[in-house]
Amino acid sequence: MALTADRERSYLWQDGTVRSWLLTTDHKRIALLYMASITVFFILGGIGAALIRMQLVMPTGAILSDETYGRMFTMHGIVMVWLFLVPSIPVTLGNFLVPLMLGARDLAFPRLNLISWYLFVMAGLLVVYGLFRGGLETGWTFYTPLSTDYTQGRVLPVVAGVFLSGFSSIATGLNFIISIHQLRASGMTWYRLPLMLWALYATSVIFVLATPVLSITLVLLAFEHFFRVGVFDPTLGGDPLLFQHLFWFYSHPAVYIMILPGMGVVSEVVSTFCHKQVFGYRFVAWSSISIAAIGFLVWGHHMFVAGTSLYAAVVFSMLSFLVSVPSAIKVFNWLGTMHGGAIRLDAPMLYAMGFIGLFTVGGLTGLFLASLASDVHLTQTYFVVAHFHYIMVGGMVSAYFAGLHYWWPKITGRMYPEMWGRTAAALLFFGFNLTFFPQFLLGYEGMPRRYATYPAQFQVLNVLSSAGASILALAYILPLIYFAWSLLRGARATDNPWQATGLEWRTSSPPPTENFVHPPVVTHDAYDYAALDQANIAARQEVPHA
Amino acid sequence: MVRVLYCWILLMMLLAGELTMARLGFGSAVCACAVLMGLVIIFGFMRIAQAPPLAAIFALGGLFWLVILLSLGSLDSFTRTNFAVGSAMSSRPDHAPALPDESR
Amino acid sequence: MPDHITPYDTALHRDESAVSGMWLFLASEILLFGGLFLIVLVYSHTHAAGWNAGVRHTSLMIGSINTVVLLSSSAVFTLAVEAARTGDRRRIIHAGLGAAGLGMVFLMLKSWEWHLEFEEHLFPGTNFSISGPNDGGAQLFYSFYFISTALHGLHMLVGIGLILWICDRTRRQTGREISTIPVDIVGLYWSFVDLVWIVLFPVLYLIGRN
Repeated sequence: MALTADRERSYLWQDGTVRSWLLTTDHKRIALLYMASITVFFILGGIGAALIRMQLVMPTGAILSDETYGRMFTMHGIVMVWLFLVPSIPVTLGNFLVPLMLGARDLAFPRLNLISWYLFVMAGLLVVYGLFRGGLETGWTFYTPLSTDYTQGRVLPVVAGVFLSGFSSIATGLNFIISIHQLRASGMTWYRLPLMLWALYATSVIFVLATPVLSITLVLLAFEHFFRVGVFDPTLGGDPLLFQHLFWFYSHPAVYIMILPGMGVVSEVVSTFCHKQVFGYRFVAWSSISIAAIGFLVWGHHMFVAGTSLYAAVVFSMLSFLVSVPSAIKVFNWLGTMHGGAIRLDAPMLYAMGFIGLFTVGGLTGLFLASLASDVHLTQTYFVVAHFHYIMVGGMVSAYFAGLHYWWPKITGRMYPEMWGRTAAALLFFGFNLTFFPQFLLGYEGMPRRYATYPAQFQVLNVLSSAGASILALAYILPLIYFAWSLLRGARATDNPWQATGLEWRTSSPPPTENFVHPPVVTHDAYDYAALDQANIAARQEVPHA
Repeated sequence: MVRVLYCWILLMMLLAGELTMARLGFGSAVCACAVLMGLVIIFGFMRIAQAPPLAAIFALGGLFWLVILLSLGSLDSFTRTNFAVGSAMSSRPDHAPALPDESR
Repeated sequence: MPDHITPYDTALHRDESAVSGMWLFLASEILLFGGLFLIVLVYSHTHAAGWNAGVRHTSLMIGSINTVVLLSSSAVFTLAVEAARTGDRRRIIHAGLGAAGLGMVFLMLKSWEWHLEFEEHLFPGTNFSISGPNDGGAQLFYSFYFISTALHGLHMLVGIGLILWICDRTRRQTGREISTIPVDIVGLYWSFVDLVWIVLFPVLYLIGRN
């Protein structure tokens, strides 16, 4: 009976009309709207990847023409970066969790939040329109003068879509920053914030300060392409490298948009499933901020062989090494947290451990690319492809799934099937490594990226990679199925199924529309399991008297 | 009311100064006048001193990141020795489409 | 908890958040225009001769008048912000309409200036009228000129729209207490548009003219 009462008060069921969903300003519902949208885009980008891997089974190319291949990896890149990875954790889990973790009723600007979703959907539609009306062959980086003077593809709608998605990002970032500053519950000091919020704060800083530079860069590109005037045009003495500088001023920090929220999720999950305070809380918190800050200073390492100044290259190389320090701090602190903890290997923890391993490989191979000498050999090869997929797919997608499994009971009020969750986590780890580890070897041996064909000597490794991709696809499809199943048939979740400490676990699963029946008061540090255990014991002793 | 009037007079004087300096060809003095005009607007019209402290933090943050963009972004162009920016290495090849292809 | 201030505790708390949020948005806008100024910084040094040739072709007269108009418009709207604090409805509307009117004057002068430049074939492309060894730099300057003034003009249009919205809601909200925050926030935006122009004006018209 209590369950049905809760069910009717929960945000999911309080008003079930389509209209109430499409005009909602409830951050939890907007999170679900976002989740549905990015799942569609993830599938679309995934189809692109599948076609690429099928093509590369044969050295001469199996199914696509050279031109179609170029358009396919461009679609894969653009959709995955701007319509899945950049929004992924912030707009879904972040949107859902920021007010809950703060102990607030909603984000600072609820209507802006809804507007940002509409902007995102419009952006996605524009991009998809451009891609289906022919696509473009520039790669996700839109380098000039290819994108302005030589392209035969649909640059304008795609660029307009990416431009709009930028405004959606800025709105989200602005909302998070103001919320974290202004809406903390009574007693929630900065050093009591869950590490997820520190990570999302750092991400939001990048959203707000880097995205506008992408916007203006795309405006310049569109202007040059449409009016045929020179901005970066070398025939007028313009500098195409200036485009690359502006582009990477956003897009390198955007790499940290695509990893920092994952780091936040992993901090939460590792602490919960080790039932242990995060080792070195303040170091982990500040390492998020410093990753975001240093991340703005390193973009030149994408351009070492593009003809930039040697002096600039040296400066950017040294700064790039610097960013590995806070990243390493995080990895060591997660391991420190696990050391001596009572580790439970539920699905979220398996995903999080996968994240730690894959992120470490991705991060360490990044050092090869930050060094000037080895970068000259490795840049524009599959080594780079493998490196950033280890960070973005191995890292971010693992973390996204870790977070989805971890908060699924809170979001839906239902448990996912644990055994299937563990299977999918194991498949993801195995399939991912089989797909991308061979690409390190391919790149080291000199196979260039972005070609539709390759010399026959690389075939074995390419076949291995494609085989891995099919396992990876299975690892993505499985959760889609069992999550859908659990919505209908999953066991009812309790309020705090993992015995976690965050404020989000103190309200019902799923939470009521106003998040908390009584405004919460925070009296302990984050991850204070001793206090939680004591409260549990006290609650158990009280039951007989009740 | 009076405060706004003072600010406006100050801005007009600075603008006159800026135009004079431009006529005399002192580029840095022009920049100084522009910066002063900006400060008059930020403190006189936008009242940043009366705004919540966060406002000043955000404004300074925006300026700081602007400095990063301008300094690190121009570092390459100003120190490039291999090819000067926009050296006439490249001219438009014949196969480049001269006009946007409207047929698509 | 009254619904109209959700998710805040008090109206003051809500207002502070709104003002801080606006400043954060303006910080974001700084970086938007920042990308343009990186282009100025690089090209005005690496192509100084052609760039300055471009600067010499702009209309200093119209530019200066426009600067006066825009600064005055911002000053007038600041009067509306002060009027909102004292609760003077009529003065908000008068000052708002004055500021919006001056903004329109700016845009009209700007489009006249654009018209003249199109007549003189100063729009970059095949018919570009500045020729000689430095025409590339001059074309780069005029690309920047048109993009930056268009972007600034777009911001002005948005600002004028916001000001008219303020006037309209002030007119319709008789009987209730005036909410000062929307006026404040539009004022911040309008002054920011001024700030951008204050940087653009010397870059487009002054530095490099002599």
